[in-house]
Formats: sequence, C-alpha cells, structure tokens
Amino acid sequence: MLQVIGIDAAYGHARVLHDVSLELEEGEMLFIVGRNGAGKTTLLRTIMGLLRPLKGSIKFDGGDIAGLSPEELYHRGFRYVAQDKKVFGSLTVRENIEIAAYSSGEPLSRAVDKVLEIYPKMRDFLNLKAGQLSGGQRQILLIGQALVGTPRLLLIDEPTQGLAAVVINEIAKILKRLKGQLSAIIVEQNLPLVTKLADKVVVLKEGKVIATLREASEICNTDLLEKSL
Amino acid sequence: MIYAIMYGLTVGAILYLISVGFSLTFGTMRVINFAHTLTYTIGAYLLVASLRQVGIPFLWGGVVGVGVAALVGYCIERFVIRRLYGESLDYTFIATFAVFLIGVDIIKWIWGVYPKPISDPIGRAAEFFGFVFPVYRILVIVLAILVFFGLEFFIRKTMVGKIIVAALDNKEGVRCLGIGVEKYFTIAFVLGSALAALGGVLYAPITAVHPYMGSHILLLCFAVVLTGGLGNLRGTFLASFFLGMLISITGRFWPAGSEIVAFIAMALVLLLRPIEA
Repeated sequence: MLQVIGIDAAYGHARVLHDVSLELEEGEMLFIVGRNGAGKTTLLRTIMGLLRPLKGSIKFDGGDIAGLSPEELYHRGFRYVAQDKKVFGSLTVRENIEIAAYSSGEPLSRAVDKVLEIYPKMRDFLNLKAGQLSGGQRQILLIGQALVGTPRLLLIDEPTQGLAAVVINEIAKILKRLKGQLSAIIVEQNLPLVTKLADKVVVLKEGKVIATLREASEICNTDLLEKSL
Repeated sequence: MIYAIMYGLTVGAILYLISVGFSLTFGTMRVINFAHTLTYTIGAYLLVASLRQVGIPFLWGGVVGVGVAALVGYCIERFVIRRLYGESLDYTFIATFAVFLIGVDIIKWIWGVYPKPISDPIGRAAEFFGFVFPVYRILVIVLAILVFFGLEFFIRKTMVGKIIVAALDNKEGVRCLGIGVEKYFTIAFVLGSALAALGGVLYAPITAVHPYMGSHILLLCFAVVLTGGLGNLRGTFLASFFLGMLISITGRFWPAGSEIVAFIAMALVLLLRPIEA
C-alpha cells in the first residue's frame, strides 16, 4: 500500500533522514520507535507532504506521491495527527469536527457520531471550546477528526506522550479498535503499547533505519526493542 | 470632556476599521503588511476623486473607494504576499513597505501632495442633553459597531469564517484536513483591505486627505493590534476604542502627547500581559 524508498529529508541544511525505507501493507499498524532526534516526526511529516524529500520516492497504491501537498494527500485518505495536540482552540469541539466534515464531504452528524463512537464522553464537551479540553481529550478529538471521511492511512505522532496512565489506556483502546480496519504509522515511545499493537516496528536512529521487526516474537521482546533504541 | 469622548469614539471607530484587517492578516498569514494602510489612503483618495472629478454622491464615491481598494488588496496579496508565505518576516516587511512607498508615489503623481479636505456629507448635528454632536460622527461610530457584529457573525457562524479562525489557531492543522488555506487567506486579506478603505472613506471628511495619511495611521494600527492581541478580533475592537479615547482625552489636556500615550499603553500591555505557554 505504502512504500517509502530511500528518502532523505532536511530542515534547511540540517539533513535529518538518510536513505530511509519502509513498507506498509493494507490494514497494517506500523510503529516507529527511536530516541528523541532520531527523525521520527520528520519521517511522518515527509510522508504527509509537509516536507519534501530531497531524494527517494514515496509510493501509495503504486503511484509516486512524494512532493504532493498535505491537502492532496488528505483527499487520498491520508490523515495526520501531529505531536503537539494542537486543536483549533478558539472553536468548539463540534466546530473542530465540522471543519473535518466540511473538507471530507461527510455530513456533520455522521462525523460527530464517529468521534462519539470512539469516545462517548466527548458528547459532554461538544459545545465547549476545544482549547479548554485536557491534553488527553485533545488527542482523542484529533484522532476522531482523522477518522472523519474515508481515511485510509493514519499517521499519528506520539499519541500518548505526556498523558496520564488512564488516558493512555483510553487511547490504546481506540488504537486497538482501529487495528485491522485502517492502515497506520504511529510514532511511539511507549514500548508496552508498541508490543501490544504493532504488526511491524521500524527502529530509527540518527535518521537511519537500524532495524525492522516483523515477527511477533521480535516485537514482543521489549528488551530487544530497548536495546535497539 | 463629553466632546473629547465623542471624538475619541470616532477615532476608535476609524482605528478599528483599519486595524481589524491588519490583525486578521497577521493572525492568519503571519505577514506584517505595511501596504495595509495604502488601501486606506486609496479609499480616501478615490472618494475625493469621485466627489470632485466625477461628481457622484458620497455613498457611491465610498463604494468606488472600497471596491477599488479591495481590488488593489487582492493584487497585493496575489502578486506580492503569496510569494512570501512561509518566508522570514523580514521579506514581507521589506516587500510590503516597498509596495506602500510605490503606492504613495503613484498617489502623489496622480493627485499631488497637497491635502484635500472634503466636507461632512450629512452636515447636520443632533442634540443630546444639551450637547451637540455631528450626525456624521455618530454614524461612523454606529457603522464601526455594525462592522464588528457583522464580522463576528462572519467569523463565528460561516464556514469560511470558521476556517479562518482555525487557521489562526493552527494553519498546518487546517492544511492536514485537506483545506487549502491560500483561498481563505485571500478572502481575509481582501476583506481587511476593504475595511481599511472603508476607514479611509469615513475618515476623509473628518481629517484632510493627503498622500502620507497611511504612514501616520500605520503606527497607531500597530499599537491597536499589539494592545488587542495579534489575530484577536474582539481584542482589536476593544483596543481601538480604548486607544481612541486615550488619544482624545489626553489631547484635551496635553495635545503634544496625545499619540504618545497610545504607545505607552501598548508597551504596558505588552509588559503586563501573561505570556502564553
């Protein structure tokens, strides 16, 4: 479904990714792990079209998508949930969903239902300014927004970072529910979560892929993962 | 004192009309548009030209001024600013300042450098509790308040407005939801230019129209927008009237310092405002 083939990416003169390749099959959940500064976020941003690769190609359903804008990729089914948990804080939760519904062409009521399906408690906050939500609720709202329309590939950057254990469980439940229904690339440092959900793990170090773990026995071995980091 | 307050409200109304577009464009595009008050000047000059050279009524002269200034705003956005999105603020600063200087020189070339006063189009006064106020000034204040509510409706209730607000919060987030922000930036920019021109049209009968009127008001715009909060439209409204009153009341007791206080107020707000994490 998605093939990243030998891409390099940089911010100005600072080259962050070096010859990175990975492959994702339909319905697969791939986790990217690595230390801070390994290039995980840069990789997701490059796939989402927020950064143009210096070399290499990115293929989706066989067609080259490197250099396409995030707007074009959204309409091909790409959904990106950034690390910063930035919702549209001046708008209500319902309006946040409305913007996603407007863009995808999905009726608002159906879009709201999709968000409530993954997190029924959000009903109480629909008319609240999204800026007033907690970090965990914001994260769930962003994941919910990503499910509006017809998503095919979710790109989620550190969904559990900085969240309380109870919220992490909630997000883990949501991701578990999505597993198999959608393809996803998730950047995550929470190794127990990775071992529970991953079909494949790519370990990044200093902008390079140093390991790709495919076998359940490799993925479930947290010692191995920790050593890879 | 009552008259100083009335004058302050008028100045506040004009400052609001000009500053709100400035705030909107900085908030959405992160562009400091020095050419913003060029559209204010163009609006005022086209009104004068319509009245004196074409001989059409004030209302239609105002429509011409606002319409042409909006078109000029569109051209500035389309051909200058759009090329500078994402670049350092210095580039937009220099480019828009160049557009401003070129625009002012064209105005001087067409209409000369001498001020062009025009008279109050209504020419009547209303009396309240023994105080006499020009009806035109009351109308200017009412119009600014109507624009505020109209803009609030546009921003809060229409999808275009909501997308502009969303882009103010998180431009990249809007793009990642498949929405090309450029179209909405253009709408915000043209709207801002039209409102600045409306300010110029309405202020023309109160002050003399001259080629440098834009550079003078630009600094006050900065003070308003920084006091009200960049991209904060309600804050811009409150700051406009607050600074308008401050300028007017100070002018009554200390004419030389009337505008200085606006910048002192701005500096105090910047120093005391809590820094958002």
